[in-house]
Amino acid sequence: MKEQWRLLKTDFSTAFTNMALDKAVLVANSEGKVSPTVRFYGWKPSAISIGYFQSLEEEVNLDNCRKLGVDYVRRITGGGAVFHEEELTYSIIIPEVHPQIPKNLLKSYGKICGAVMKGLNNLGIESKYVPINDIITGGKKISGNAQTRKAKTILQHGTVLIDVDVDKMFSVLKVPNQKIKDKLIADVKQRVTSIKHVLEKEILFEDVAEEMKRGFEEEFNVELIEGTLTEEEKELTKKFDKECFSARNWNHRR
Amino acid sequence: MQSKSIYKIPNGKLLNISLDYDEINNSINEIKIMGDFFAYPEESIELMENELKNTILEKVSLFEKINSIIRVHSINFIGLNAERLTEGILMCKK
Repeated sequence: MKEQWRLLKTDFSTAFTNMALDKAVLVANSEGKVSPTVRFYGWKPSAISIGYFQSLEEEVNLDNCRKLGVDYVRRITGGGAVFHEEELTYSIIIPEVHPQIPKNLLKSYGKICGAVMKGLNNLGIESKYVPINDIITGGKKISGNAQTRKAKTILQHGTVLIDVDVDKMFSVLKVPNQKIKDKLIADVKQRVTSIKHVLEKEILFEDVAEEMKRGFEEEFNVELIEGTLTEEEKELTKKFDKECFSARNWNHRR
Repeated sequence: MQSKSIYKIPNGKLLNISLDYDEINNSINEIKIMGDFFAYPEESIELMENELKNTILEKVSLFEKINSIIRVHSINFIGLNAERLTEGILMCKK
């Protein structure tokens, strides 16, 4: 019988709740209270998440965020700033000693990205993993990923772009010229794509989630069983939301 | 003296240094190491920033200091390394 992991479909939440929830599951799993978990979610309102080490004001156009009603949050994972709007976000929380997880950090990125790529493939999109943390199709980025490890537990979360308004994206993100210096395509707006753009048709969040579920099941040879948050996870989510992710001293600390 | 540098590391990530340094002693007063790199454990970056205070802004000694901090705290960088971090910090002086 295949190993069973928990699947959480938490629909759309604020940036603060989304990040709090990932951290709550990370804590619960590290204490052995819940099984390895794959979660699919979206963001309402639209939001920017920045990497743990990034400077908020260097990365985010705060005035335009206010004007457009876009939230912003600092992640507990490193990596870059991401504008979350029409996308499916996944997270996977699993002990780092799990036999399905390569010991090597970069290889573990590749393995988890493999699940996302299988999901994309199920949707009819061929993609490629570009280390450290990108998945591209037709030379353009369709998914960004970031991982942390705490208390011997992995949390990796990442985006799968369903649709993208690049003008809005780059009105709320500040992209320094240096970042694109060694890239082939100079115009940042040309460097991202989405499922809708590749398939040239509308696709529902729910359908992307279903194919991603299969992608994770195939890559890890497990069965994902839809479940819910424990009471303790719900309490932890509220606590992390209030005390950390929606707090100014967390988001503005750099 | 306040200074900043932005350094796109070849085959790596973007490093963003904000430095306050003592021009007479050529040493670090305050430093922030920012960017879209990865470091494990994440909290070690704040330890590094603290331990770099008063370090002389000279290539060899700065590189050795950074390396010793990496060893002591078992820091694992992805998209950044001690050599590039040293370069990024010293760029603030140019």
